[in-house]
Amino acid sequence: MHDSYAVNVDDVSKSFGAIKALNGVTLRVRQGEIYGLLGPNGAGKTTLIRLICGLLEAHPGTVTVLGQRMPNVAVLRHIGYMTQQAALYPGLSVEENVAFFASINGAEDGVKEALELVQLYDRRASVVATLSGGMRQRCSLACALVHRPELLLLDEPTVGIDPQLRVQFWEYFRRMAAAGTTLIVSSHVMDEADRCQRLGLIQYGRLLAEGSPADIRVQGGSQNLEEAFLALAGRRES
Amino acid sequence: MSGHRVRAITRRLLQGFRRDRRTLALLFVAPIVILGLLGYLMRGSSSVPAVGIANEDSGPASAVVADVLRHSSHIKTSDIDASEGDAKLRDGSLVAYVVFPQDFTQKVAAGTVSPEVHLEGSQPGEDSPVIQALQQAMTSLASQVAGRNVSFQPQINYLYGGSSYDTLDYFGAAFVGLVVFFLVFVITIVSFLNERSQGTLERLMASPLRRGEIVLGYMLGFTVLALVQAAEVLVFALAILKIQNHGNVLLIFGMEALMAIAAVNLGIFLSMFARSEFQAVQFIPLVVVPQMLLSGIIFPVSSEPTALQYLSNVLPLTYAVNGMRDIMVKGADLTWSALQLDAAVVAGFCVLLIVAGTATLRRRLG
Repeated sequence: MHDSYAVNVDDVSKSFGAIKALNGVTLRVRQGEIYGLLGPNGAGKTTLIRLICGLLEAHPGTVTVLGQRMPNVAVLRHIGYMTQQAALYPGLSVEENVAFFASINGAEDGVKEALELVQLYDRRASVVATLSGGMRQRCSLACALVHRPELLLLDEPTVGIDPQLRVQFWEYFRRMAAAGTTLIVSSHVMDEADRCQRLGLIQYGRLLAEGSPADIRVQGGSQNLEEAFLALAGRRES
Repeated sequence: MSGHRVRAITRRLLQGFRRDRRTLALLFVAPIVILGLLGYLMRGSSSVPAVGIANEDSGPASAVVADVLRHSSHIKTSDIDASEGDAKLRDGSLVAYVVFPQDFTQKVAAGTVSPEVHLEGSQPGEDSPVIQALQQAMTSLASQVAGRNVSFQPQINYLYGGSSYDTLDYFGAAFVGLVVFFLVFVITIVSFLNERSQGTLERLMASPLRRGEIVLGYMLGFTVLALVQAAEVLVFALAILKIQNHGNVLLIFGMEALMAIAAVNLGIFLSMFARSEFQAVQFIPLVVVPQMLLSGIIFPVSSEPTALQYLSNVLPLTYAVNGMRDIMVKGADLTWSALQLDAAVVAGFCVLLIVAGTATLRRRLG
C-alpha cells in the first residue's frame, strides 16, 4: 500500500507572515532508514518536522507520510514525535507520563518495553520534576516511541545531553531502525551526521544537498562533513 | 546597598513593562473601567421598589394611607387586585403589595391599624423602603385621627425567605455557585496554559487525539475536581453557615456543575489568548470583576441603568446566579420556566465555549 518512501516532501514552502521558513524543499525518506536533517539554528528543521507530522500545512507543496497526504489524523498513530524541549508532565512520574502517551495512542502494553529501552524502568516511580535533564530527555524519547511508531520524528533529541547519553541515544536509534522504524533526526551537530544513513542539509529554508554522508563529502569536496557543509552553503550563497 | 544596582533592577522592571502592552493596559485601563462601572451602577440605579396597593376597604382611613403611599418617594405604587398580588410577586413585577382589608377603617376607629403586607422577600435590601413608606403613611394617618391612641400592627407575609432570612442567605445562594465558577476558571486557565508552555499540547496535537477529545477530556477532569469542590462548598454553606435552602440539594449541585463546566471551557478558551501564566492571571480581574458587578450578585439586574441591563442579560453568570437563587431562596424546581431558562442559557454557553475552545486550539497551533 505504501510506496517505498515513508516520507515524501514535495516542493514544500511555508511562510509565517513575512518570514519564509521553508522554500521549495523536496526530499524523500526511505522506510527503515535514519535520515538526518542537518542545518544551523533557524534553518527550518523544526518547521519541516512539524509539517511532516501535520501540525502545519504546507503552502504550496505536499507532504505524504506512509502513503497518506498530510495533515491526516489517521496517520498520526503511526508517528512518534519527540519535541525539541522535553515535553512532559512534571507532576507525573516517569511511568505515568509514558503510560499517558501510550494510552492516547492505544498502546498500553508498550510501557514496560519503552521504559526498558531508555533504561528508566528502575526509575519509573520518580516524579519527572525531580529528574535530571538527561533523564527527562530519555523519558521524552520513551513517550515518543511507546506506541511502536513506524515513523519517529526526533527534533534535536541530543541537545543538552552529555556525550555518554548521546552515544546511548544513537544506539537506541540504530536498534529501532534495524527493527524497521523510519527515523528522521534533526541536529545541528555535524558529528552526529555520520551516524545517519542519509542526510538532508538545510539552510535558510532551502535544501542544499541530500545524500549519504559519503555523497555529501563528495558534493562538498571535503573529507570533513562540517567543511563540506560550509562549502555547500557557500556555493548556494554565491 | 548600592544605589546603582537598585536602579538596575528598577530600570529592568520598567523596560519589561514597556513591551508588555497588555499589562500596561490592565494597569491603567482596568481601574477606570471597574470604577466607572461601579459609579454608573450605584448612581444610575433606580432602586425604587414597585409596590401594589389592593384597597378592599371603602372607608376613609385606607384612602388616606394609600394616598400617602402613592406619593412616597421610597416606592413606586400601582393599584392591583389582592388576588393577583402573589402572581405579581412571583413574576418579579412587584416586590411587595399591601392589602387594606374591608374592615380596615373600622379597625382604625377601634385603635388598631393592621394592613396586610406581602413581601417578595428574596432581596433583603428591598424590604426596608416598603416598610419605611408604610410607617410614614401610618404616622400621617395617626396625625389625622388625633387624640386617639392608634397601634400599628401590620401583618407581614413573606412569599420567600421570611423574617429569619438575612443578607448571607441572599448572597450565599449566589456565592455557592460563584466560588466554584471562579476557582475552577483560574485553575483551568493556568493548567491549560502550562500544557502549551511545557510543550505537551504540541505532542497531543501530533497524536491521534482529536481536538474535541482534548477539550472534552479536560472538561471532564476538571469537572470531577469541581464537583468535589462544589459538594464541599455546599455542605459548608448549608451545614456550617446555615444558609437557608428551600430547594432540592441535587438541583443546586446540578447548577454548580453547569457553572463549573462553563468555567472550565472559559478557561480553555481564554488560555488561547495568553502567552504566559502572567498574562493568564490578568484575565482573572477582567473576567471576575465585571461579572461580579453586573450579574446581579450585589445589585439586582432590574435596578441597574437600562444600558447595563442589556450587558447583564448577555452574561451567563446573570442566569447562573438567578438560577441558584431561584432554587435556594424560592425553592424552584425544573417545572419553573424561569429555572429552565437559566439552566438552558448556562448550558448553551457551555456548548458555545466548547466549540470556541476547540476551534481556537487549531488556530494557535496552525
